[in-house]
Amino acid sequence: MFGISDPGIWVGYLLSFLLTAVCIAYGIINWKNGSDEGSEDGS
Amino acid sequence: MAVDTLMFAVITLVYLGVVIFLGYIGYRQTKGSDDYLVAGRKINPVVLALSYGATFISTSAIVGFGGISAQLGMGLVWLTVLCIGVGVLVAFILFGKKTRSLGHKTGALTYPDLLGKCYQSAFIRKITALIIIVSMPIYTAAILIGGARFIEATLSIPYDTALLAFAAVVALYVVLGGLIAVMYTDALQGAIMFIGMTILLVLTYTYLGGVVVANSALDTLAPLVPENLAAAGMTGWASMPEFLSPIWLTMITTMVLGVGIGVLAQPQLAVRFMTVKDSRSIHRAVLIGGPFVLMMTCVAFTVGPLTNVWFMQKNGMLAFDAAGGNVDSIIPLYINSAMPDLFIIIFMLALLAAAMSTLSSLFHTMGTTIGYDLNPLVKNRKPSMKAIQLGTLAMIVVSTVVAYALPENIIARATVIFMGLCAASFIPAFAHALYAEKPSVSAAKVSITAGALSWFLWTAFVHVKESSVLGISDALFGVQSVLPMPWGVVNPIVIALPISAVALLAVLVIQKRASTTS
Repeated sequence: MFGISDPGIWVGYLLSFLLTAVCIAYGIINWKNGSDEGSEDGS
Repeated sequence: MAVDTLMFAVITLVYLGVVIFLGYIGYRQTKGSDDYLVAGRKINPVVLALSYGATFISTSAIVGFGGISAQLGMGLVWLTVLCIGVGVLVAFILFGKKTRSLGHKTGALTYPDLLGKCYQSAFIRKITALIIIVSMPIYTAAILIGGARFIEATLSIPYDTALLAFAAVVALYVVLGGLIAVMYTDALQGAIMFIGMTILLVLTYTYLGGVVVANSALDTLAPLVPENLAAAGMTGWASMPEFLSPIWLTMITTMVLGVGIGVLAQPQLAVRFMTVKDSRSIHRAVLIGGPFVLMMTCVAFTVGPLTNVWFMQKNGMLAFDAAGGNVDSIIPLYINSAMPDLFIIIFMLALLAAAMSTLSSLFHTMGTTIGYDLNPLVKNRKPSMKAIQLGTLAMIVVSTVVAYALPENIIARATVIFMGLCAASFIPAFAHALYAEKPSVSAAKVSITAGALSWFLWTAFVHVKESSVLGISDALFGVQSVLPMPWGVVNPIVIALPISAVALLAVLVIQKRASTTS
């Protein structure tokens, strides 16, 4: 994958991209959640 | 340097002018100690994300770890996995949101203050502050050295002048503008770093014929791995080292786990979560923080190994050899040799920004620790801005003096030492404070002490990289490591963090049994 034959490397790249996608999805899904909650912890 | 020094000096001055202007805005917006310590708890999520990322990623991560990946290969991509998975997702969602809400609830203004208030213990606050004030100047001095050496090389300024000027410029906006100034300038610096790293990746793959062609070319260099590295387990630049070999253990335990987990308990990062008004800001910051950290680390750990392909094609030698055997010179040499003039300036500015953003945050954290947490004159826990500003100034002077005392090749080592000590001492107690309804002070005391002590013992008597420098093991036992290989290359964090966690759990279990019996 990506010209790299060792799965030990390309799995690392794949996970990096997937986790970045999770960050983006989390931010979009929760874009409006948890506003002005004072001391409470909302999600 | 390949580009016109005058042109770079002019652009640097413009950049410094903008930094000082942002510092001035921070100064104008700072009306009291809340503004100075936690930026008035109203920081924008974009600023939070960029500030967190720019503070986390220093020049050492780009040049130091980029150079190490040029020598040891793409296996460091696993550090990117942890930097995003732990450094962003776990840090923001599991630790950040709780830190923010407890910070608001307790009115905590610093990391030691937060722990002290969660545990309702002055001891926890003082010991946390003490660990910070002992370990952080070394890390800060290392960042100062790196920045000064970089300025010396690029602007042809004497090292002493560069060191003092670098510290003075950062001190100016940190002392006067507090955390608002620090975070605003961090955001600018983060944006410059993001642009620089994006261009670096695109140009590198363009020069080498595209992603697949470049990576395949790197794969074919495997037979050229130097004999000493092959004997230690290295298999190539596009493949992992042999499992449990010395290189694998160093890469995974010191770099991947040491930095990837160490990020969770860094005081200068944790305090940023207390600067936003609600969890929504943290949610939005995650969206920006993930891609930012990906671009900083992944690009460094990808371009680093690929410099071997470039130097092999152009000079017929590996990057390490082209840089004269100095790992820290590989990335700057590649930039200067391969990139167009304008990009060299942008990238050099990005490196300056990376050093300044980390340095300003460390100055601020040390100042608040000495001027507030450890200040015996603080009455009724009400902070004095003047005392904190004086404390910050004092710690800047201390760090500068330490910078003169430390050896040159200390940057990456100091980073790992600081992160390892923070992780081993604080992570279990921090997590317990955030999630337990009634956190146990005794468990936290035992955990912090056990973590710090075991980290020190492993550092001084087992882990060769540090024990050989400290010389205590050699003086007492006549050996650099009291344990046989491979223990000598296993990073202290891998031993000390579990000990710290087990100590905390053991005390909790004992207390639960005691309360059940009675």
